[in-house]
Amino acid sequence: MAIIEAVDLRKVYRSIVRGPGLAGAVKALFSREIEETVAVDGVSFSLQPGELVGYLGPNGAGKSTTIKMLTGILVPTSGTLRVAGVVPSERRQANAQNIGVVFGQRSQLYWDLPLRESFELLRAIYDVPDDRYRTNMKTFAELLDLDRFLGTPVRQLSLGERMRGDFAAAMLHDPAIVYLDEPTIGLDVVAKEAIRTFVAEINRERGTTIILTTHDLADVERLARRVILIDEGAVIYDGALERLRQEYGTHRTLVVTLANPEQRLDVEGATVESREGNVVRLRFERKKTSAETLIRRVMECCEISDLQIIEPDIDGIVRRIYTEGYQDGAAGTPS
Amino acid sequence: MIIAARPRFRWAPYRALAARAMAREATYRFDVFTSIGSVLVRLYLLKMVWTALYAHNTTPAELPLHAVITYSAVALLMGLVMDIDQTRALHDRLHDGTIVTDFLKPINVALSFFADGTGEVIFHAILIVPSLVLALLVVHIDVPPPMTLAAFAVSFVLGYLVGFWINFILNCTAFWTLEISAVQLIVTWLTDLLGGEIIPLVLFPVVLQKIVFVLPFAAMFSTPLLIYVGIISPSGWAAAIGVQAVWAAVLAFAASLMWRAGTRRIVSQGG
Amino acid sequence: MASVYREYWRINILTTLEYRENFVIWLLFTIVYHGSALAALWIVLTRFPEMNGWNFKQMAFLYALWMLAHALHNTFFSAVGDVPDHIREGEFDRVLVRPLDALFQAIATPGQVFPDELILAVLTFVAACIYSGVHIDLMFVVFVPLIAIGGALIDLALNLAISTAAFWVVRVDALRWIVVQLEQEFTRYPLSIYSRGVRVVLTFVCPFAFMNYFPATYFLGKSETALSLPPAVGLLTPVVGVVCVALAYAFWRFGLNRYQGVGH
Repeated sequence: MAIIEAVDLRKVYRSIVRGPGLAGAVKALFSREIEETVAVDGVSFSLQPGELVGYLGPNGAGKSTTIKMLTGILVPTSGTLRVAGVVPSERRQANAQNIGVVFGQRSQLYWDLPLRESFELLRAIYDVPDDRYRTNMKTFAELLDLDRFLGTPVRQLSLGERMRGDFAAAMLHDPAIVYLDEPTIGLDVVAKEAIRTFVAEINRERGTTIILTTHDLADVERLARRVILIDEGAVIYDGALERLRQEYGTHRTLVVTLANPEQRLDVEGATVESREGNVVRLRFERKKTSAETLIRRVMECCEISDLQIIEPDIDGIVRRIYTEGYQDGAAGTPS
Repeated sequence: MIIAARPRFRWAPYRALAARAMAREATYRFDVFTSIGSVLVRLYLLKMVWTALYAHNTTPAELPLHAVITYSAVALLMGLVMDIDQTRALHDRLHDGTIVTDFLKPINVALSFFADGTGEVIFHAILIVPSLVLALLVVHIDVPPPMTLAAFAVSFVLGYLVGFWINFILNCTAFWTLEISAVQLIVTWLTDLLGGEIIPLVLFPVVLQKIVFVLPFAAMFSTPLLIYVGIISPSGWAAAIGVQAVWAAVLAFAASLMWRAGTRRIVSQGG
Repeated sequence: MASVYREYWRINILTTLEYRENFVIWLLFTIVYHGSALAALWIVLTRFPEMNGWNFKQMAFLYALWMLAHALHNTFFSAVGDVPDHIREGEFDRVLVRPLDALFQAIATPGQVFPDELILAVLTFVAACIYSGVHIDLMFVVFVPLIAIGGALIDLALNLAISTAAFWVVRVDALRWIVVQLEQEFTRYPLSIYSRGVRVVLTFVCPFAFMNYFPATYFLGKSETALSLPPAVGLLTPVVGVVCVALAYAFWRFGLNRYQGVGH
């Protein structure tokens, strides 16, 4: 039984047109032109309880609009949506009780007071039973190392500490579903790892369904087994991360350092991705040209001082999909 | 390349700042219309209040009803321009720390705030024109002879400068303490009351009159207004305007001292 | 909801204590704000002792009654005025993600609220009662709190309506400021000094007159000269307050629907 069921979600925005500069601003005082933007255009997916899904897309693709509809902030223009059996746009408060949200760019903690005061207020807002509150606070203190700064005013916390506080705050009421919007943005490597461990732990131990929206694809690689890719308001891929890697992770990069910077490098089976001085990056399709073949060809034509092969990472894969478009099954040919 | 000679003064960056301020004010269409609307309402209010006050009490000989209504209406319009805190940006940027980037730019920082504020002032001054037209419809404002108007104009500019320096000094305190908006509002209120914007100073109890005429606030509103309605006669113009000029100079000097002290503090504290 | 409200007040007090210097300055500001209004009234009425049958003592009572209602609103409902900022800064979504009514959350958003203005208002009112020599009986003691609450509700309705406008217009600071200023200025004087049209507006459209003028007329035993209504109409203020809030709440729901893109 799916915990989140979205069918053909659509969202259309309407806004007033405003021209540039002083003239445009004055003109806008008197005009009333409206333009329509389709932010989400027929998105459908379904999530089982306990899944941890990466929801990815370039800026402006419709990611945040979808999340807003899921969390009850926006009402869809059309389509159906059920989250834990509740239609968010019809029963906002009931839906809110079932979810936790972490906005990476914005904190829900109270700036001026110690962290624990924020938790107290949230306890009242979500009506968390005493024993659950105590248990959760203890668990989070351990997992997130909160005790150290529970008494510090939030405005004095470092970004990493504040994020950890925000995570605990989102989980305090044992939500069935948690939305993470850019949860590791701006964090250092150590903090990111701590957050990822926490998220994985919560997902594993409590079976919390998690939707992760992020530009940091290392998050996705570490946590998600399934990804949904959205572009221009529509889903272009919905499936296992592994399959994506297999389908689209077929290219590799050969980095060649030439002995002679003037040397022209033009080999069959590979394209020059970039060239900086005597360092040339060649892109090739593993299925079409083997690494061994390419290296042989390169060495036949030029004098080399260094070679390096770079495996595709999820970043490159996703970038490639957005620039080339997704074709199911075929791995695409290099341009 | 080392720039040894003092660069020529450029108007362009300050003009651009002023234009940006005007565009910024114009984007809030609702604000614009409500401002004009509120002037209308206020003019109506002052007319009704003074009419009611003059109806059942002994009226002052030197200030008949039409004169006091003129006084209050002109004071209201003056207030539109004078109550704008031109250097508010200074406080705001000190508050959020972005002022450091201002010092990195190759323009005079104090002037840049002045330019920004001037854009705002000009925009609102332009708004006065429709407000003035409405004023003439709602209440009857006396129009004095041209010489008086000229003296009024000079006095108004000086009064404006006095107000500008007071605000500047206030905003400079933001170099030391951060929360000044309340203090600023307090000062605005006091200057409005003690400056004669709300009630002509000549109507104050005699005891209080002795005090308020000595304060710089009187130079902001009362002096130009009393010239306008003729209570300060042509023979008294020179003295009155002279006092204003002295206040303007004194406050300008105090402001420059504060500015220098404040910027020194910023530089030594590292922003 | 009750426990949330308790928590909200606890955080308010804590935050105010955290920013003590702020508190002192804003208290000073409140004193000057009301003080200068009363001072202006006093200065004028020293020179012009009577205004449509009202003297300074009576007008002090008039002002103090308005101040009481206004302070009550500022203490309990002022957070509603922060909603436009929250919307503009993107903080409002957080309200929609929580399992509580949006308006309740708007009212119960912790800030630095301390009942200092209210205490000041009560003191001023008591002083004004003594100074004006108003007749204090059981009716007075029972109804004045109700009228103050009714007046606070009228203010709330206005505050809410302006905040709701932010769903369309975004920046409403100037509008709010002007409206509050006008409210303070128009309620300072007896309703009868205005032309008939304005008296009707201030009674039936934007019922500021119910915040202090009608009740004051009743308690001071004056005859009602503005609209020739029976003086007891001043006791209706609580009802007027409730009606106004109901209307404002409907408008709020309309605005909230629009924010959430209902019908787009």
